[in-house]
Amino acid sequence: MTDAVTLSYINLYAILGSLPHLCELVPEAAELVKGKPVSIGFQVKGGPSATLCFSDGACVLREGVDDCDVLLPFSSPEKFNGLIDGTVTPVPKKGFTKIRFLLKNFTALTDLLTRYLRAGEADLQDETFFTRSTTLMLYVIAGAISQIGNHDKIGRFSASNIPDGIIRLAIQGGAAATIQVKNHVLATDPVPAADFTACMEFADIHLARDLFDGKVNAVACIGTGEIRMSGMISMLDNVNRILDRVALYLA
Amino acid sequence: MRKLNSYENSRAQFARAAKVIPSGIYGHQGPAEGCYIPIEAFPLYSDHAQGSYFWDVDGNRFIDYMCAYGPNVLGYNDPDVDEAARRQAEKENCVTAPSTVMIDFAELLVDTVASADWAFFAKNGNDVTTGAVMCARAYTHRKKIVFFKGYYHGVSPWTQKIDYPGILEEDVCNNLYVEWNNFDQLCEVFERYKGEIAAVIGQPYMHGNFMDNQMPAPGFWQKVRKLCTDNDVVLIIDDVRAGFRMDLAGSDHYFGFEADLICFCKALANGYNVSALCGKDFLKNSMSSLSYTGSYWMSAVPFAAGIACLTKMKKLGMPELLIEKGKKLKGGLLKAAADNGFNLHVTGIESLPYLRIADDPSLRLHQQWVAECVKRGIFFTNHHNHFINASLSDADIQETIEVADEAFRVIRERMD
Repeated sequence: MTDAVTLSYINLYAILGSLPHLCELVPEAAELVKGKPVSIGFQVKGGPSATLCFSDGACVLREGVDDCDVLLPFSSPEKFNGLIDGTVTPVPKKGFTKIRFLLKNFTALTDLLTRYLRAGEADLQDETFFTRSTTLMLYVIAGAISQIGNHDKIGRFSASNIPDGIIRLAIQGGAAATIQVKNHVLATDPVPAADFTACMEFADIHLARDLFDGKVNAVACIGTGEIRMSGMISMLDNVNRILDRVALYLA
Repeated sequence: MRKLNSYENSRAQFARAAKVIPSGIYGHQGPAEGCYIPIEAFPLYSDHAQGSYFWDVDGNRFIDYMCAYGPNVLGYNDPDVDEAARRQAEKENCVTAPSTVMIDFAELLVDTVASADWAFFAKNGNDVTTGAVMCARAYTHRKKIVFFKGYYHGVSPWTQKIDYPGILEEDVCNNLYVEWNNFDQLCEVFERYKGEIAAVIGQPYMHGNFMDNQMPAPGFWQKVRKLCTDNDVVLIIDDVRAGFRMDLAGSDHYFGFEADLICFCKALANGYNVSALCGKDFLKNSMSSLSYTGSYWMSAVPFAAGIACLTKMKKLGMPELLIEKGKKLKGGLLKAAADNGFNLHVTGIESLPYLRIADDPSLRLHQQWVAECVKRGIFFTNHHNHFINASLSDADIQETIEVADEAFRVIRERMD
């Protein structure tokens, strides 16, 4: 069972929230958003509100929609989720002078994101694409963990059992993501924290991909040493229970 | 410096296993749930065992402080228990009509366990905790069960949590949770669900993982006992882990109260597979009413082993013997830690010591120390209480302390 409100938070903070990483990782993405600053706000009634700010080929996600150039209001989480799955066309409330950016650049950017997150076999044969795609998946998963832990009924139960600290998910020799836990509220760091309370590390990017795609068993990988856990294991136990639900939401 | 173990054959066997067994080794004896950190420090398969030791498939010998997670209470291959089992096996084991040895075992338990008027047998701890909850519900015709947070009562759906794979909300919707030692919170729950609570279930003290084990506050169990009695709620003690390592008459007896139902398994038969639910007379009819049985629950060999085990534990003066050994170990470990500038916590009763280096809240330091001990032949686990057995000698304890000291020195040097 999934719920639309949680999915809307995942869609905004984890899926669209991975655009900053896309712009860092993929020159083609940076190219699409270079130039004058422009910001797009997403305001979901009964759900999240945040603004994507683009400037000089980079992107950041900010809370709220107070200072956005283009405002996209959605009457419900379901409507916003429709934007992400391509069944709803948004109607801007303000920022008509920036509509070209929205229709052209932003659409191209999200299409590119889709290509990396729902990668085809042919694209994945390219090692650079493979690495970028898998790295983005790590960031999306880390973002989704926090949203599920904060909003999903069962995810909140898991979060209620996580003590304060920092959880690190890492690919050996590659990318890492960290999740801060404070009073059972989870927040994925835009930039990974240096220290951690508990860590789950994947042996290499190929193993990470296989895990994300559900092709290998995580518990068996702990036995082979391909996944390494350390620190406050109870944090990872509960994150793993949330991860089970990440697959459900992102399927 | 001691020679460090290596585990090539364990690794090879695990690779074999992973192809045909989910997780390779599933459950608490596997590297994931067992928190084998790092995996390279730990053996995965045993080859043989004797007394306080097991040897892995690479020929490494370990002084075993997990004791198969509890069942090894007298020492592996105890001659008296094994002889009783062998003699019974020559006569019969799993037969259409049960052996009268079952009655002998029930009588022995009723004579030994202070709160017991009857005994019901099964195989694992989970069988009897589940039987206890079913019995409480049958007796009270109520649904709700109160748990103390940090609990472990087995693996049946009712014992698990809403976020565990394969568990439905409906499986756990009648579970109520209160903090350990928080009597006021328990009273609030009783008030809120007046007339709906079938049972309170708890271990005699908090054995929770990743934290120091906690004894009951003075008078806690007596207040819980009275609250349950006043509200017609069944009080279940899950003595699967601590049973017979605190008090042969039951861990409720150790803390000066009487459970309505008490569950035993691990130390009951020194490794032969039997568990027992003991209860008070007023619950006997309810237990009788349950549709609850199993193919091997009346096998005679484990009953014979259980009789021999319990008889020998009485003769040896358990659990005082185990507590004495545990005290020697605790003293030595604390000194070794202090000598190397570490703050080791040893909590719980000495026959079930829980270890934690308190200098690092992330527990990574503790994990490093445990790994260095295991690599040198002392089988500790990271985040579970340990078990003392009767065959553990003073020489074993001395060797353990020496290894622990060396392991402390290794991690101190690493830190410096």
